[in-house]
Amino acid sequence: MLQVEGVVKSFDDFLAVNEANLSVQKGEIVAVIGPNGAGKTTLFNLITGQLPRDRGRVVFKEEDISELPPYERCRRGIGRSFQIVNIFPRLTVFENVQVAVLSHQRKSSTLFRPAGNLAVVETGSLLESVGLSDKGKNVVGSLSHGDQKILEIAIALGNEPELLILDEPTAGMSPEETFATIELIKRLARTRGLTILFCEHDMDIVFSISQSIMVMHQGRTLIQGKPEEVRNNSEVQAAYLGGE
Amino acid sequence: MSGKLLDFKAAGFTFVLFLILLLLPPFIPRFFVYILGLIYVTSLLAMSLNLLVGHGGMYQFHHAVFYGVGAYAVALILTKTSLPAWVAFIGGPILAALTGLIIGWFCVRLTRLYFGMLQISLGSLIWAIVYRWYKFTGGDDGIHGIPMPRFLSSLNSSYYFILIVLALSFFLLYLILKSPFGSTLQAIRDNPQRCEAVGINVRRHQLRAIVIGTFFAGIAGVLFVVLERSVFPDLLFWVLSLEIFIMCLLGGWFTFAGPMLGAAITVALRTFVGKYTEYWTLILGVLLILLIFFLPEGVMGYFLGVFKSRGKGMAERRNP
Amino acid sequence: MGFLPNIGPAEFLSQLLVGFSRAMILFTVCAGLSFVLGVLRVPNIAHGSLYMIGAFVTFSLSKSFGGSSGFWFALLLAPLVVAGISLVAERGLFRHLYQREHLMLLLFTFALALILGDLVKIFWGAEYRSVPAPDILKGSISILGASFPRYNLFLIFIGLLVAVALWLFVNRTKIGKISRAAAVDRDMVALLGINVSRVFAGAFVIGCCLAGLGGALVAPTVSITLGMDHTLIIEAFLIVTIGGLGNMWGALVGSLIFGVTQSLGVLIFPQFAIVFPFAAVVIVLLLRPKGLLKSVW
Repeated sequence: MLQVEGVVKSFDDFLAVNEANLSVQKGEIVAVIGPNGAGKTTLFNLITGQLPRDRGRVVFKEEDISELPPYERCRRGIGRSFQIVNIFPRLTVFENVQVAVLSHQRKSSTLFRPAGNLAVVETGSLLESVGLSDKGKNVVGSLSHGDQKILEIAIALGNEPELLILDEPTAGMSPEETFATIELIKRLARTRGLTILFCEHDMDIVFSISQSIMVMHQGRTLIQGKPEEVRNNSEVQAAYLGGE
Repeated sequence: MSGKLLDFKAAGFTFVLFLILLLLPPFIPRFFVYILGLIYVTSLLAMSLNLLVGHGGMYQFHHAVFYGVGAYAVALILTKTSLPAWVAFIGGPILAALTGLIIGWFCVRLTRLYFGMLQISLGSLIWAIVYRWYKFTGGDDGIHGIPMPRFLSSLNSSYYFILIVLALSFFLLYLILKSPFGSTLQAIRDNPQRCEAVGINVRRHQLRAIVIGTFFAGIAGVLFVVLERSVFPDLLFWVLSLEIFIMCLLGGWFTFAGPMLGAAITVALRTFVGKYTEYWTLILGVLLILLIFFLPEGVMGYFLGVFKSRGKGMAERRNP
Repeated sequence: MGFLPNIGPAEFLSQLLVGFSRAMILFTVCAGLSFVLGVLRVPNIAHGSLYMIGAFVTFSLSKSFGGSSGFWFALLLAPLVVAGISLVAERGLFRHLYQREHLMLLLFTFALALILGDLVKIFWGAEYRSVPAPDILKGSISILGASFPRYNLFLIFIGLLVAVALWLFVNRTKIGKISRAAAVDRDMVALLGINVSRVFAGAFVIGCCLAGLGGALVAPTVSITLGMDHTLIIEAFLIVTIGGLGNMWGALVGSLIFGVTQSLGVLIFPQFAIVFPFAAVVIVLLLRPKGLLKSVW
């Protein structure tokens, strides 16, 4: 479904991503791992279009989306949650998700009907599926960190994406929250037929739920393969797993 | 946010206020009728700016240009052509919105400060042309004695007209703000990157907002001409643009009606302070500094904050 | 008719020089504005008022010192007076706002501009003032058949002096280098143990001092009036924008563009001379919205 081919991105003189390759099949759960600074978030930004790449291609569902702005890529079916909680601070939980749903329904520019009456059902069911429906009216500032990260995911789901990209979805969570979030992600993938691409530091999670793992080091792709292959690969062990 | 469109208490209060204002003219001196008219015009101008600044988060630094374009359009149509008045009244906002579209199209491609600076430069260009084109726009002198249709011949009838147009615009702006367009606009203000990631074409949305905001600024320009029967280049000057900014800040730019309050306070202060001293600008400057240091949420923002915390306190006492 | 009359080379040269000399005054002021913008990231709206104060102070000082040398005293002291005013404003009020969002800082400079503008009205009144140029600089020289006012040549000389002095300051002195570093990354500078607030104060005062200098320099060439601040600040903002925010060489380029287009515009279409520089700015910004030279940020 998603192919990233030889993508390069540098900031002034710093080469953040250097010939990265990634392949994601439909229905898979794929993880990207690597030490801090390996370029994982930059890679995600290149895939979703937040950053333009210097060289290389991003192909989604057989279409070259390398030149498209972020909102176009989103409309084609890519949803994304951010590593640092990136929500709408002045809106309620309900309104946060509603923005995404309205965008998906192409109703963002409707002028003369009250927003409170639109997309209520869809937003409500989305909140329910992530377990936040009782907090709908809360302003986001009052949510716990874990809940905010779940809200991140809910917003990303508002556009009914086919590919969901999650940037460190459990960062900063307690073990109970982490477990619950991973179960949530697995359930969502099953019930909505999502393809998931994520990055994580917790290796237990990575190896337990991924079907394919891509390892990055200093902006390059070291290897991509099944968990067993990656675990046994000597280069990976040297660069990441063994040394740490 | 409740799903209801109207908070009935606020709506009732507003309607009663409207009725009172409507019935005032026979009972108050002419001068006050005029001042109220000026407050209404300035309020509409401030609210049109706040749509873009407070709710849209854009650095609309030269909003006065669109106000001036609307006013000059009416003035020129009524003095240089023999077209009927309604053409002028509709032409003003349309021309203002068109100017907004053109200037906006260039500005939205830039990030905040550059957006503001480009707008200042484009706006100043228009001001310079109006200021110098003596033959067409009257240059420095402006245009005076603009003829109005008979139903607007008296100050009181102008007052009614302005108030009614203001009320309609107020209502429309409220609807727009409560619509998906409005909530998306506020989402863009708070987090444009997230909006892009959610499939929103931020630039297009902002441009649409600019067209709406400048349209209403144009309406304010029309109302100004109805009130004053003249136009002058100061209407397009950058100082006015910043003054409107201050009104929004004073009233509270994250609230809906705050700017209206800010405009009312500013006009009232300017008029009554102006009677005692010619150094109104000095006082405005001091006022602004006090605002920045002590009341950054504006007057209305401050009171809303007080109400909210009182309300929460009471709720907590009811449900411990 | 006034549209493209017969322009001889002498008139052209003469106007070009006028443009250059006006550009030098603009550069002096805009370099200061750019410097403040670069280090504090705030466009100082009060810059025009400080320029105006510089001009009015020059008037008063040169009148009280009297004679030809009165101007030289004023030229020396006026920028210092302006620097003093800006120091008071900064230490007293401005510096408490550094933690706030930028819009607040900008609005503060607007408030300052309003207050200073009226203070000038209070102290000097609304009449037009004028300052005579010192005797050495009166009159013109004739070069290649064109007449060049001596004062304009003086302005060009001073302008280049200011440019060189600024370059030396920013690139060769410790304070200058710290200012440059603070412009790019203030957190880093703070981590190095440097008092960022003092760096800001210094940058602000120096920038305003330059505005005062500009006002002193312009004093013999125009009638000194209220409203000087308004016209200047718009021009300065536009120049700094087309030059590249915070870039002092950009301020030079922008000033030259502005000064020359206006003076040549007088030859082509006198009534609309003022439109030419604005149009030039618009064209530059449409082609290069971030300015011609690289911004400091």
